[in-house]
Amino acid sequence: MALLFVADSPTSVSSLATALDYTEGQVEQALELLGKRLKKAGPLQLVELAGGYQLATKSEYAELISAFLKPQRQRLSRSLMEVLAIIAYKQPMTMAEVEQVRGVQSDYSVRALQERRLVQEVGRRQTPGRPVLYGTTAQFLHQFNMNDLSQLPPLVVEPSALEGRSEESV
Amino acid sequence: MAPRQTLAKTDRIPALGVVAPPPIHIQTDRFDGSLATLFAMTRDHKVDLLDIPLFPICEAYFTYIMQAQVQDLDEAAAALTALAYLLERKAWLLLPVPDPEPEYEEPMDPIEPSTYEYKLAIEALTLWQSERDNLFFRSPDAGPDPYELPYTLSNVKPSDLALAFERLLKRAEPESIEPLNKPRKSLQEHMQTVLLSMSNTWQTLEVLVEGPFTRIEAVYWFLALLELIRLGQVNARIENEDVEFALS
Repeated sequence: MALLFVADSPTSVSSLATALDYTEGQVEQALELLGKRLKKAGPLQLVELAGGYQLATKSEYAELISAFLKPQRQRLSRSLMEVLAIIAYKQPMTMAEVEQVRGVQSDYSVRALQERRLVQEVGRRQTPGRPVLYGTTAQFLHQFNMNDLSQLPPLVVEPSALEGRSEESV
Repeated sequence: MAPRQTLAKTDRIPALGVVAPPPIHIQTDRFDGSLATLFAMTRDHKVDLLDIPLFPICEAYFTYIMQAQVQDLDEAAAALTALAYLLERKAWLLLPVPDPEPEYEEPMDPIEPSTYEYKLAIEALTLWQSERDNLFFRSPDAGPDPYELPYTLSNVKPSDLALAFERLLKRAEPESIEPLNKPRKSLQEHMQTVLLSMSNTWQTLEVLVEGPFTRIEAVYWFLALLELIRLGQVNARIENEDVEFALS
């Protein structure tokens, strides 16, 4: 718990195992135990985010902490969210491919998402012009409460498929 | 009453050319007027040429040629042009119209992915983002490393260091032309060089950096010096309006 407390980003099981000189299995077991213990009592919880584990405050304290920290929330506009969703599902993809799906110019949106560290360049397509390929970042997973991209809902699903997802993420 | 020929207008088709055709009168079941009028109305799609037989028109033209004393060849040529135009238009109208291509009810191609498919995904992301807003973590940008000791520059201000650097750059010599694959320089190595050239005695940059050196070398020298100050291995002070440096 001390290691998770000092970490300011999600910590992977492998890095914890290296630091503690335990096997990854042992660390996972310990994390499970710690998660259960924290769930029972105290203001903290163990969350699995962006491919690692991190300590976070429980959601019931959100209002209190918000009043204390006064965080500046920056909501994404509908168009930014749309571009982000397209890239998240179809990554890696070029700007032209994003525009083909949306039917409108999207360079501003991609740039804005890059500035927010939600999207990054992940390479170049080996075609004429070698266009830049874009993909989502770990910050994207962190900001949208996901452990990995497999948690994204299928593209054509019933709304009921989303139910109960929030319990899985913790 | 004036004969029809004299009533026929001759100046109705300016687009034809500079000369209007002569007042050749045409009288058919569907049209009664001058050649010029027929030409203009055909051109403007005001008459259906299919309903007007061209034989009487050709005959009228022939009569005009034979009977009238054609003295103005330009006028006759204009009449011939108008007649040729009518003949060509009618010839085109008489051509059989090809049957329109049969329209097959082909199955539509599958629609390319479009944003409507992402509607649910966007809703999910919005929901998860709001869930995430209820969680608070240690901030990754909480400020400088709390384990790094703050360094002091006594009475030296950043502007003093900037002036010292400017003076150093003025002494630098232009860069020599080198191949593109020149070896990369390491700031760590430069820091070693700077440490070796320094002592416990306070010295200005004028004394510390001996010439000749290039601008790049000056930049590396200064960066190495700043890094050593940050690490607490070098001290700086202002003496006689110049910055002096010494080992800590």
